Amino acid sequence: MLELENITRAFGDRTVLDEVSFSVPAGTLTGFVGANGAGKTTTMRIIMGLLAAHGGSVRLNGRTLPVSTRPEFGYMPEERGLYPKQPVLRQLMYLGQLHGLSRADCRARALELLDRFGLAERATAKLESLSLGNQQRVQVVAALLHRPKVLVLDEPFSGLDPLAVDAMSSILRDYAAQGVPVLFSSHQLDLLDALVDHLVIIQEGRILADAPAEQLRAEQAHRHRLHLGADAGWLREEPGVEVIDLSGPEALVSFASPQEAQRVLGCAVRRGAVHEFAVYRPSLADIYREVIQ
Amino acid sequence: MNPRTGWRIVALREIETKVRDRAFVLTTLGTLALIIGSIVVAGMLSARTASYLVIATDETSFQVLAEARDTPPEGIDLSILRMAQSAAEQRLEQEQVTAFLGTDDQGRFTLTGKDTVPGELRKLIGDSLSTVLTEQLLQQQGVADAELPRASDLRVAQLDGDADRSSMVRAMALIFSFLFYMASLMFGMPIANSVIEEKQNRVVEILASAIPLRQLLAGKILGNVVLALLQLLLFLAIGLAAAYLSPIELPFLGVVSQVAGWFVVFFLGGFLLLAGVWAALGSLATRTEDLQQSSGPIIAVLMAVLFLGLYASGQLLVVASYIPIASSVAMPIRLLSGEVPWWEPALSLGIMALSCWVVLRFAERIYRRAVMHTEGTLSIKKALQIQL
Repeated sequence: MLELENITRAFGDRTVLDEVSFSVPAGTLTGFVGANGAGKTTTMRIIMGLLAAHGGSVRLNGRTLPVSTRPEFGYMPEERGLYPKQPVLRQLMYLGQLHGLSRADCRARALELLDRFGLAERATAKLESLSLGNQQRVQVVAALLHRPKVLVLDEPFSGLDPLAVDAMSSILRDYAAQGVPVLFSSHQLDLLDALVDHLVIIQEGRILADAPAEQLRAEQAHRHRLHLGADAGWLREEPGVEVIDLSGPEALVSFASPQEAQRVLGCAVRRGAVHEFAVYRPSLADIYREVIQ
Repeated sequence: MNPRTGWRIVALREIETKVRDRAFVLTTLGTLALIIGSIVVAGMLSARTASYLVIATDETSFQVLAEARDTPPEGIDLSILRMAQSAAEQRLEQEQVTAFLGTDDQGRFTLTGKDTVPGELRKLIGDSLSTVLTEQLLQQQGVADAELPRASDLRVAQLDGDADRSSMVRAMALIFSFLFYMASLMFGMPIANSVIEEKQNRVVEILASAIPLRQLLAGKILGNVVLALLQLLLFLAIGLAAAYLSPIELPFLGVVSQVAGWFVVFFLGGFLLLAGVWAALGSLATRTEDLQQSSGPIIAVLMAVLFLGLYASGQLLVVASYIPIASSVAMPIRLLSGEVPWWEPALSLGIMALSCWVVLRFAERIYRRAVMHTEGTLSIKKALQIQL
């Protein structure tokens, strides 16, 4: 498990991270979300040992990591590109060697991963000749080459088409399944829903949520969705009902108690058709919007 | 992994990338061809010997020609035949000989050619003629030849060393200055560009998470230094080998070889210092275009050093031979004149080593801070304020 405890960092007199604490459990895909400038990249750089924290500590399996290199981590920085003018395999071998692999091992491992990502026949092509999605896959290969103990990816999905997103998702999932903590940041909230096991939300350098996705969903599951046969406007007049969203026959409401819910359901049935009356399971995007308000 | 080998992997990659670069290979081969070509041409030009076959039609003429043959100036090869005038005329008519020399009944000498007599041959035979006739005259007067004053009694001295030597110094100054200038741009600028490339697409973050930035920088500089040095050694070795193998004897080859050794050491120091500057400049920039602006001063310095090497002399050259970068060219040039005591280059190298240390330390400070900074181009002052 990767843990951050009370990480603080300022640039000049601007505090960018304020007592940031969260954990990335082993074997989970942890999503790291926040607006631009919320502190995601700074946090990731501190995790990678590229930047010093002014306070707090980063721990891996209970052991505090010094500010130094982390060759045993896999990292994908935000604006990626590697070396555009160099052949794919050659730069992978270079990066692999810097991470401590032998030349032979590098080559075998790079070819194995490229093959898995369907890029085996592009191994000698220049990186810039690949599509953006394929370039990003090469990036992931670069991060996975040395069998990292921790994977930190800054915006791995940005700029990918839907097929590439699926491919990237399955790669990350496979990797997490091997028991490695995987932390990745993303702007695409809808994407997180199907993917992450654990969610960390950061805003203006403060952590607002750090919990398993299921737990967050359960905590936020106090709303109901209604789809009636006719206009649902009457719900506004009902006591014990807070209407969050209403449009024609559809409504998103919050009940004061389970009893109120049952009572309103009775009213609805008496008034006409009820097509849907369900506990609303919020998406992580909803949770995010809720949390940052 | 052993983190201490990181710089070696980086250096090897720098070398590998460069050696695979077609432009680099072509420039190197082109320069080599130029070096060999110019030495061969120089050799051919001075090795060109004119061969003349001249017939003497009587004994005195033969003596004159023999004198000319035995004291030929450089580049003239004279062969003599002795035969009767009629046979000589026939041979000349068939162009089997260059000319024939004979005397008429009044003792006047005539040098007869087919349609023209080469000027150098005319002069050579004319000189011999006057020598031979003078000797004959002196003998008749009873004066021994050895008692006569000779032109070689005049010893020539020049305030600025001897003429041959100073033209050799000028030629080598041109070569040293040009080699240094070329290497500084050819291997220095790519250091800056490769730093910018890695900064621009953030590969540097991946690299820095694997090995310390200091090693990354060291590997980058080292790779280029090794390449620049190997290329220089190749140029010098081929150049000197061609000069030694050339059929004509080039003067001062011994001194030149010796000073070439010094030049390699001074070159290394100057290049190392510049490499640090290039790396720092690269890390301050955000895009390759920025470098065009920020490299202005350093290119101006390099041009100044080039012109210094070509034209400087006297006090200016002495001062320059102690200023790092300029000294890479200026001190070897001074050493060529052969009048510099040993402690001068040693002191100059000491100054160079010290400046290298200071500049590289400073460059590393800037590099480590600036290379991760992605929001805009930095000034040195701003870069130093960045907290790691």
